[in-house]
Amino acid sequence: MNKVATEVNHPKGAYVFRLYLAGSAPNSTRALANLYAICRRHFPNSHRIEVIDVLTEPLRALAESILVTPTLVKLSPAPEVQIIGNLSHEEEVLRALGLPQGDNS
Amino acid sequence: MLLQARKRGGCLSASPGRNALAKIVTGIEGFDDITGGGLPLGRTTLLMGGPGSGKTVLALQVLVCGAITRGTPGIFVAFEENALQVSANAETFGWEMGKLQENVLFFVDACVRPDVVKVGDFDLTGLLAGLEAKAVEMGAKLIVFDAIDVLLSLLDDPAAEFRELYRIHEWLKHNEFTGILTTKIEENQAGTTQRYGFMPFMADCAVLLSQRVNDRVAVRAVRVLKYRGSAHVLNEVPFTIGPTGLEVGSSSGVHPEPQPFTERVSTGVERLDAMLGGGFFRGTNALITGSSGGGKSTLAGAFIEAACRRGERALFISFDENSRDIVRDLATMSIDLAAHQASGLLRMEAVRTEAASSEEHFMRMKRVIAEHDPRCVTVDPLSALARVGGGLAARAVAERLIYLYRNAGITVLFTSLLEGVDPQLETTPLHVSTISDCWIQISYELRDGERNRALSIVKSRGSNHSNKLRELLFSDKGVTLADPHTAAGRVLIGASRPGKENAA
Repeated sequence: MNKVATEVNHPKGAYVFRLYLAGSAPNSTRALANLYAICRRHFPNSHRIEVIDVLTEPLRALAESILVTPTLVKLSPAPEVQIIGNLSHEEEVLRALGLPQGDNS
Repeated sequence: MLLQARKRGGCLSASPGRNALAKIVTGIEGFDDITGGGLPLGRTTLLMGGPGSGKTVLALQVLVCGAITRGTPGIFVAFEENALQVSANAETFGWEMGKLQENVLFFVDACVRPDVVKVGDFDLTGLLAGLEAKAVEMGAKLIVFDAIDVLLSLLDDPAAEFRELYRIHEWLKHNEFTGILTTKIEENQAGTTQRYGFMPFMADCAVLLSQRVNDRVAVRAVRVLKYRGSAHVLNEVPFTIGPTGLEVGSSSGVHPEPQPFTERVSTGVERLDAMLGGGFFRGTNALITGSSGGGKSTLAGAFIEAACRRGERALFISFDENSRDIVRDLATMSIDLAAHQASGLLRMEAVRTEAASSEEHFMRMKRVIAEHDPRCVTVDPLSALARVGGGLAARAVAERLIYLYRNAGITVLFTSLLEGVDPQLETTPLHVSTISDCWIQISYELRDGERNRALSIVKSRGSNHSNKLRELLFSDKGVTLADPHTAAGRVLIGASRPGKENAA
């Protein structure tokens, strides 16, 4: 689970995510699955996901002010967006990411 | 209930048994008194109170005290203010945060970003994992969660709030950490009290800090709501936030009994000494009452000057009068305080009554005494306290003040204004006359077109004092007492003395 990265060849306008998880806690597992599904559907071939397990890298999470798990950070494109929770509502996630509703769906 | 039986209103009666709960000393004297030795070690304490009630300061002070006095490492998690602000606030109390943060203290900035979006459920596993790793790295055993309610409100679901608080509690217990959680509670809003009502049940020790306004004066109070496995003071106890942090007015009821002195201390007026059988007893307190302009302050000045002349350190606390004015006025009666002030023997402390509650005045006097270490003190007038903070509170403060001086072996002279229409009623606003060791009364005699001062001793414990009325005379030579002339069963003073009919 540590640092699972999905690299895709799409340099322009690529979505870069960092997802902080707590091992295989239910909310964490759910968030990861939800994020994969959203990325596959909305940005196929143009996303990168970095997964950080706070249980194996606890000091990093603390240094990066991660209070709750799961926490998703969209690093690129700007602006940076932080979403907490298991990402169970796709529409709300897309809205938070600043994506126009209805596109690609 | 055994526990109930060990608790008594107001005072601690139980002595620690064999299996007494281990505690961490907070370093806040009065607080350690009311909690029977500090907060429970390896357990969770909840500090509750309204905004500005002093929760954060108390939590910080416990952390800092442990770090300074015992080198105990600790972690402070700030959910509301950012860590820099908390640390800057702490600096104002003289705590060297910069140095402490290098070695023993760690501040976690845990402010929730305002732009964070919440989608679905989450929990605090991430934070706790981070804190645990940090605690292990530092060897920290004490963790403060400041403004836990801010974090919980993010969950926006009572069931989830309960679950996460329980998670924190279990995590603290599992790691044998001593936890201090602070949370806002609006005392008058049933909503919040109910919403977080489960918190005190979970905590091993729950403390309520409150702030009220009595007679337009803000009064802070602290109360230990519960303390599992330990006796504690049940009463609400006043406290202040002074320049070095919290100061709690202890009411543990335990007072050391100082050895009584047999030495006499001069009142500064020769004949008054004689009337008292040699002066006041060292380490006792005396009260001078009288109406306005009676000469109370002058007698207080004479007492203080005499102390300084013996080479004793002295303190003159005056309410609502400038030190310089007092020095100037007394100098006209050959009572020279300026020289002693210059030499450092005498400290003049001018206080504005309205500027603080009686409790704050008490704390301030306590601090000044600790700084100056006087052997003789005068408080002029003590009755000023009755004007701030409500009658009962002021009375309690006056009483504690008397004990404070008595325990320190300080000889103190209080003056008190007699208010009301009839000065003959001889009651003081604070009712301190009953616990005073010596009570001197100055009254006016209005007769034959003159207003003359008369002095008498109402009581003087342990002394065969004079029962005579004396005329109190002030002149540029100083303070003297004159025998009244008695004629035909009448006491004559002033112009009514034979041969003084034409006196100005």
